[in-house]
Amino acid sequence: MDFDFNQEQYMFQDTVRDLLASALTMEHLRSGTPAELWGQLAETGVFALLTREEDGGLGLGYTDLALIFEEFGRALVPAPIAAAIVAGGAIARFGTPEQRAQLLPGHGEGALRLSSAFAETVATVPAAMTLTARPTDAGWTVTGSKILVPDAAAADKLLVALRFGDDLGLALVEPSRAGVTLREQDTLDLTARYHEVIFDHVTLTAGDIVGGRPDPAAVVACFDAAAAVAALQMTGMAARTLDEAVTYVGQRKQFDRVIGSFQAIKHRCADMAVAVDACRSAAYYAAWALDEAAPDERARAVSMAKSWCGDNARFTCNQAIQLHGGIGFTWELGLHLFLRRIKCEEASFGDADWHRERVIGATLRSMELAG
Amino acid sequence: MDFTYSPKDLAFRDELRGWLAANLPQGWGETVFLPEDEDENAMFRLDWERKLYKGGWNGIAWPKDYGGRGATLVEQAIFAEEMARAKAPEGLNIIGRNLVATTLLHHGSDAQKARFLPKIISGEEVWCQGFSEPNAGSDLAAVRCQAVRDGDHFVVNGQKIWTSFAQYSQWCILLARTDPSAPKHKGISFLLVDMKTPGITIRPLRQISGECEFNETFFDDVRVPVENLVGELNGGWRIAMTTLAYERGPEDALGRQLVFRQELDQLLATAAKLQRGNRSAIEDGLLRQKLAKSLVGIEIMRLNCLRAFSKSLKGAPRGAEASMNKLYWSHVMQDMFDTAMEVLGPLAPLTAGDAHAVDGGRFQLGFLRSKAFTIYSGSSEIQRNIIAERVLGLPK
Ligand SMILES: Cc1cc2nc3c(=O)[nH]c(=O)nc-3n(C[C@H](O)[C@H](O)[C@H](O)COP(=O)(O)OP(=O)(O)OC[C@H]3O[C@@H](n4cnc5c(N)ncnc54)[C@H](O)[C@@H]3O)c2cc1C
Repeated sequence: MDFDFNQEQYMFQDTVRDLLASALTMEHLRSGTPAELWGQLAETGVFALLTREEDGGLGLGYTDLALIFEEFGRALVPAPIAAAIVAGGAIARFGTPEQRAQLLPGHGEGALRLSSAFAETVATVPAAMTLTARPTDAGWTVTGSKILVPDAAAADKLLVALRFGDDLGLALVEPSRAGVTLREQDTLDLTARYHEVIFDHVTLTAGDIVGGRPDPAAVVACFDAAAAVAALQMTGMAARTLDEAVTYVGQRKQFDRVIGSFQAIKHRCADMAVAVDACRSAAYYAAWALDEAAPDERARAVSMAKSWCGDNARFTCNQAIQLHGGIGFTWELGLHLFLRRIKCEEASFGDADWHRERVIGATLRSMELAG
Repeated sequence: MDFTYSPKDLAFRDELRGWLAANLPQGWGETVFLPEDEDENAMFRLDWERKLYKGGWNGIAWPKDYGGRGATLVEQAIFAEEMARAKAPEGLNIIGRNLVATTLLHHGSDAQKARFLPKIISGEEVWCQGFSEPNAGSDLAAVRCQAVRDGDHFVVNGQKIWTSFAQYSQWCILLARTDPSAPKHKGISFLLVDMKTPGITIRPLRQISGECEFNETFFDDVRVPVENLVGELNGGWRIAMTTLAYERGPEDALGRQLVFRQELDQLLATAAKLQRGNRSAIEDGLLRQKLAKSLVGIEIMRLNCLRAFSKSLKGAPRGAEASMNKLYWSHVMQDMFDTAMEVLGPLAPLTAGDAHAVDGGRFQLGFLRSKAFTIYSGSSEIQRNIIAERVLGLPK
């Protein structure tokens, strides 16, 4: 057993951290993602990492990406990038050879953009999803909508989770397909565009379905990956807001003292540090479980992480704003960008209550207790 | 990163499972439980510890030279899991095993290691910790209990307080002032004191829970041979910091985690049985969320320990990070016992003696005891000071 990362994984983290420190400043975040970011990140290999070696990728796993997603959170890398990596990961794992060959090389180079469509106005988790494909002579037809799809307008393909009759499955649809319209949404998160993707009698064929046929296990695996990635990114956001707070209280003076010397402030910072440390334990384990654990343990690990990291990233960010006083409330400082993004991550892919219910439900079943 | 079990690990697990099945009393955890009487309970736990030792299962992480197995991290994790699964009791000599032994391994002389370690692991000698005094708690470096050199002995005079298990202990680690004129951190020495020495008086102190686990300990011209000085004269503070780092560290926490997990499993089973309105307590949405929160909190406690272990196995120094571990679990576990009381609902006030008491009153006892979590081993306020100043680098 070893609950630590190896040397290469830490080096990869350093590379990405250094890149993001210059490629994605607060200025960038306020004025929109720099266009070069996709290409710069692609050069580090992040988009090819989950792709199998035989498909031209690195054949690595989420464990190798855990620290990278944490860095994404720290730098507030806009949501479309993680969405693309998760979508690519699902295609790499569950796609047909044709789908892998068609999409993954471009995805790996950052040239072909993927995004993922999971949320609905009534659902953030697979079991609650209602978007349904109805059989026709030619295949299926879909009418309905998905919301909060990260920058669907810039995507070449959308990975859509939907029902085929009773079975959940994943489909690949271009935003330009007949019957698909996009509506840009007004959201809390100011670092990316999100779209509602509206399907009006959109035709799907077997070739559009990831793996060639609906596969509910693939949907849940992809959902778990997305939830764990949210937990990892929130861990990074929590760590960053802690750092911002510690730096600020170490400099700001009131009453002729550095405010960080006041115990009331120190103690808040200490509680934040403990929260961040526990976020890491939970989120790293979830990343490992995505790669290695059986579905039940994977679900448990992911749900622990998503619920804990959501609650604690919120806690840490709230504290950081409080510790900055009036300037913390300004548009200019930018802590609100974290506040906003964390709220979006919390609400996505199952909120904390839903994930806690999944943990306790599974635990009670394993103990053979009713309820 | 790797959490998988190798065939060798699985063999270790099966061996332990087999041993536990053969050595725990018949009906353990179902019809047979820990004795309620405090002294009987302590003796039961001591016997159990000795049995563990005879089976080769005490202090498994210790080096082989001192009777341990040199267990790997994964074996320690498996050990914790299996003990929790079997609802096995906790040994009595926690201070000896976790604090004294580790401190001696770092700072003891070869003669001290050879003399004391084997009897700790075998459960022959139980230890207590004489650090706190009436006027030196959080400010531990203010200890006043004096040790004055007299030939080849120190003569100790003074008082210690909150000394857990002193009544069952053969030995005590004592922080004593050996240079009253030096700055307070620089005049303290770390002594090993035989509790049978004339001049030691122990007075039990009754705790919130009604139990008397801790004591006042008085030292009246107690003669301690100089070979029982650990490390250098007046160098005791640094050694005490090693002791505290282990007291707050992952070894200690992993042992506790298994006990807490047993409590929570029992609480879940109880919540599934208890009626609340026209359904069971576990079906109450709010209680269920709180229970789930505890479940997640306890599992993360385990993960925190494994992460800390992995770092220390790679040689990372053990220091202020231990405070994060302690601060985390103490609050998570207090919350769990608050939730337990809520789960019991109308029956929450009923303690062990009442016919309607739930599970023999164990949750009331746990709830009362949990108040100490955020006080002992350094209060939460002290842990926060340490984290803020030494981990985050905020000014004093
Ligand atoms: C069940 C139990 C078992 C124990 N077992 C042992 C044992 O075996 N051996 C042993 O030596 N000791 C033992 N202790 C003692 C324990 O270590 C002390 O109680 C603890 O260190 C606190 O010291 P104190 O009681 O003097 O409280 P004080 O130090 O007087 O603290 C009182 C309050 O003030 C706060 N406070 C103190 N200083 C500061 C500060 N600088 N900043 C902010 N807040 C502060 C504390 O957090 C606390 O809330 C035990 C205690 C308990 C409850």
